[in-house]
Amino acid sequence: MNDLIKNSETINRLLARYGVKFGIYKNGEFKEQLFPFDPIPRVIKKDEFSYLEKGLRQRVDALNCFLSDIYGKKQIVRDRIIPEEFIFSAKGFLAPCDGVSPPKNIYSHISGIDLVQSKDDNWYILEDNLRVPSGASYPLIARELQRRSAPDVFTDNSITDNRNYAELLKEVMDNVNTGGINVILSPGRYNAAFFEHSYLAEKTGAVLTTGKDMVCENDNLYYIDYNGKKQRVGAVYRRISDEYLDPMTFYEESVIGIPHIFEAYKKGNTAIINAPGNGVADDKGIYYFVPKMIKYYLGEDAVLMNAPTYLPYYEEDMKYVLSNFDNLVIKDVAEAGGYGVVFGSSLTSDKKSDFIEMLKSQPRRFIAQEIIDFYDLDILGENNVRVPRKADLRAFVLTGKTTKVWASGLTRFSRNPDSFIVNSSQGGGFKDTWVLSR
Amino acid sequence: MRGGDIIKRLKFNYDLTATYSEEISNHNFSALCVPQDTQRQKILELNISTDKDAVCQITNDSFLNKKLYGKIKAPHTSFGIHISGTADAGIDIFEEFTDYPFGAIIYKTQTELTRPGESLTRYHKHFTFEESDGVYNRALKIMRDIPNVFSYNSGSTHIHETSESAFTLGKGVCQDYAHIMLSLLRMEHIPARYVVGMMLGEGSSHAWVEALCSGYWYGFDPTNNKLVNDEYIRMSCGRDSSDCSVIKGSFYGGGVQNQSESVLVEEIDVKD
Repeated sequence: MNDLIKNSETINRLLARYGVKFGIYKNGEFKEQLFPFDPIPRVIKKDEFSYLEKGLRQRVDALNCFLSDIYGKKQIVRDRIIPEEFIFSAKGFLAPCDGVSPPKNIYSHISGIDLVQSKDDNWYILEDNLRVPSGASYPLIARELQRRSAPDVFTDNSITDNRNYAELLKEVMDNVNTGGINVILSPGRYNAAFFEHSYLAEKTGAVLTTGKDMVCENDNLYYIDYNGKKQRVGAVYRRISDEYLDPMTFYEESVIGIPHIFEAYKKGNTAIINAPGNGVADDKGIYYFVPKMIKYYLGEDAVLMNAPTYLPYYEEDMKYVLSNFDNLVIKDVAEAGGYGVVFGSSLTSDKKSDFIEMLKSQPRRFIAQEIIDFYDLDILGENNVRVPRKADLRAFVLTGKTTKVWASGLTRFSRNPDSFIVNSSQGGGFKDTWVLSR
Repeated sequence: MRGGDIIKRLKFNYDLTATYSEEISNHNFSALCVPQDTQRQKILELNISTDKDAVCQITNDSFLNKKLYGKIKAPHTSFGIHISGTADAGIDIFEEFTDYPFGAIIYKTQTELTRPGESLTRYHKHFTFEESDGVYNRALKIMRDIPNVFSYNSGSTHIHETSESAFTLGKGVCQDYAHIMLSLLRMEHIPARYVVGMMLGEGSSHAWVEALCSGYWYGFDPTNNKLVNDEYIRMSCGRDSSDCSVIKGSFYGGGVQNQSESVLVEEIDVKD
C-alpha cells in the first residue's frame, strides 16, 4: 500500500497530462477541473462481490424488461403495479420510442448503478443510470498507471484484473451490431467526459466520431472518413443525450446529433447504445418501484435493497414525510448530478414551510429518503494523513448476450468532510475499486 | 354508418414555403402534413411534391401519422412542400379507438403545454356536470363554454405558449383553444388528443381536439365551437402541438427564417 501512496502525486500529475478531467458548465461558463485521484483503493471481497453481482444483474435485467414493457404492451401499468402518472408524465418517457424495439430487445446495454454501503455493512442502491452513464475510464486508467508504478501490489494481493472492460464493451456493441462498424459518438472535445470517449474508442477499436461526420441515407447510417468514404455503421455507442440525438425527432435545435438517425434505428438498420427512451426507467420516482418490478418481471425478491424511500404521491407516505421531515433527504425527481437534493434538517424554518408548500402542491415531483449513514472510506488528506470521507460506488453492468458486472467500478468520494454528495460535478474525487479474486 | 348522408367530397391544396435570408445547405427536414385514410375520411387522390430535388421518404411516426422526411444537399434559399388531392370527409362522425400503439393512458396525462396552473384549475371548478352527463356531454359542455371566457386573436400568443398562460391572457389562436380544451378534458380524466388538419374555408392549417368517449374518438373544434364534421381533413394528431409540428428542419447556414402556409379546401360535386 505504501508503494501506491508514494506515487500518488505522480499519478495525479500523469492523469492531468492524459486529460483525465471533468468539464462542467456552471453559471453559463465552461470550466474544466481535474478529477482528483486518491491512491487508497476501495477493496471488495470475493464473496461480497458475488452478492453484489447477483443483485445488480437481477436489477438490470428487470429494468430492461420494464423498458421493453413500457415501450411495448405496458402490462405493468395495466396491472396497476406502477401508476400511469409516473410513466407518462416522466420527462424520460419519449413517445417516439413507443412501439420501437431495439436490436435484440436490449435497452440498457451499459448501466451505471450507484450504491452505498451503510455503517451496518448493508449495501443500498442509490440510483440507476441507464441513459449515458460515464466514469468507467477513470478507474481503468488509474489502475493502468498504478500497475506501472507498483506492479507487485497487484499480483501479491490477488486483485481481479479490470482491463477487460473494453472487451465487455466491445462484446456489447458487437452483440447488437446490425452490420457495419462500431462508432462512439461524442459531442466533441468540450464535453465533460471527452477523455472517456476517446479512451474507450481506442480500447474497443470503435471509431471516435461526432455528428458532423455521420450521415443517414435511405434509412442507413454511415460514417464518413477523412477520405470522404462512407462506411456503414451497425452500432452507435452514443455519448450524447436522447434530446440531442436526432433534431428531426427530438430537440430540433440540436447541432450535435444526426438528422434521421431515429428512422435508421426504428427500421433496425443500426443499434443505438443505450437505446433512446431509457430515462423513463432511471427517474427517481420510478426508482421506488424497482423492487416491485423485480418481483413482477422475474418473480424474485430483490437481492439489493433500495434506500428506504417514500413517495409523497401516496397519502400515507406524505404523512410520514411531513412528520419526519427533518430526518429525511428530499430529492427532486427531475434533477440529477447531486442537484435538487435537500436535507430536511438543513432548512431554516421559513424555507422549510415554503418547501413543504411546494411538496404539497407537486407531490409527484419529489421523493423522500431516510438518510443512510454511509460507511466512510479513508482518503489521503494533507501531509499524507488518512481521513474518513463519504463515498459511493458506481458499478458498471453490461448487457450483451448475458448481463455481466464489471469486476471494478468507480468509487467517488466527497472531499468535504461534512458532505454526503459525491458527484464529480460537485467537486468530488475518485478511487480505484479492487475486487479480490480469492 | 352514422352521418353517412353528409359526406362531402373535398379538393384540398396545402403549400408550405420556408425562406431563408442566407443560403443554407445540408438541409434535413421532416413534415407532418400528409393526410391519410381514417374512419372519418378517405383520401381519393394524393399528390406530394417538394422543391429542390429533395430526396424524400414517408414513414409512420409513433402516433401513426404519415411523416414526410428527407434531405436537400444543394445550397438554396427557399424550400416548399406541396400536398394536394381529393378526399371524402365526414364518412363517420367518430373514429373507433384502437389500443395501438399507446392505449388511452398516454392521452390522459397532461403535458408541458397543457398542465393547468391556478387560472385553469379555477376555471375547471366552475363547471358543474350532471350525474347523467356521459363523457361526450362533459366534453361538449366544455367546448360550449370556452368561447365565454376566451376569444380569438392572432399575434397575442406564440407557438410554445402553454394553455395556462394563453388562458390567463384570455385570447389566442386555434392552437391555444385546443390546448385549453385538452387541459380541461384531462382534468376530467378524459383521454384527449390534439389534431392538426385543414378545414373548408380556412386559409391555413387548423387545430382541434378529439376526446375519447366510450371507445370512440369524437372531434371537437373549440375555436369554432363546432363538432368536427364533413368539412375537416386531418393531417396529424398527438398529445399536444409539439407532437404535430408541421415542419422541422436542420441545416448549415441560415440567417432569418420565414415560413408561410397556404391552404385551400373546396367542396366539389360528387359524381356518381
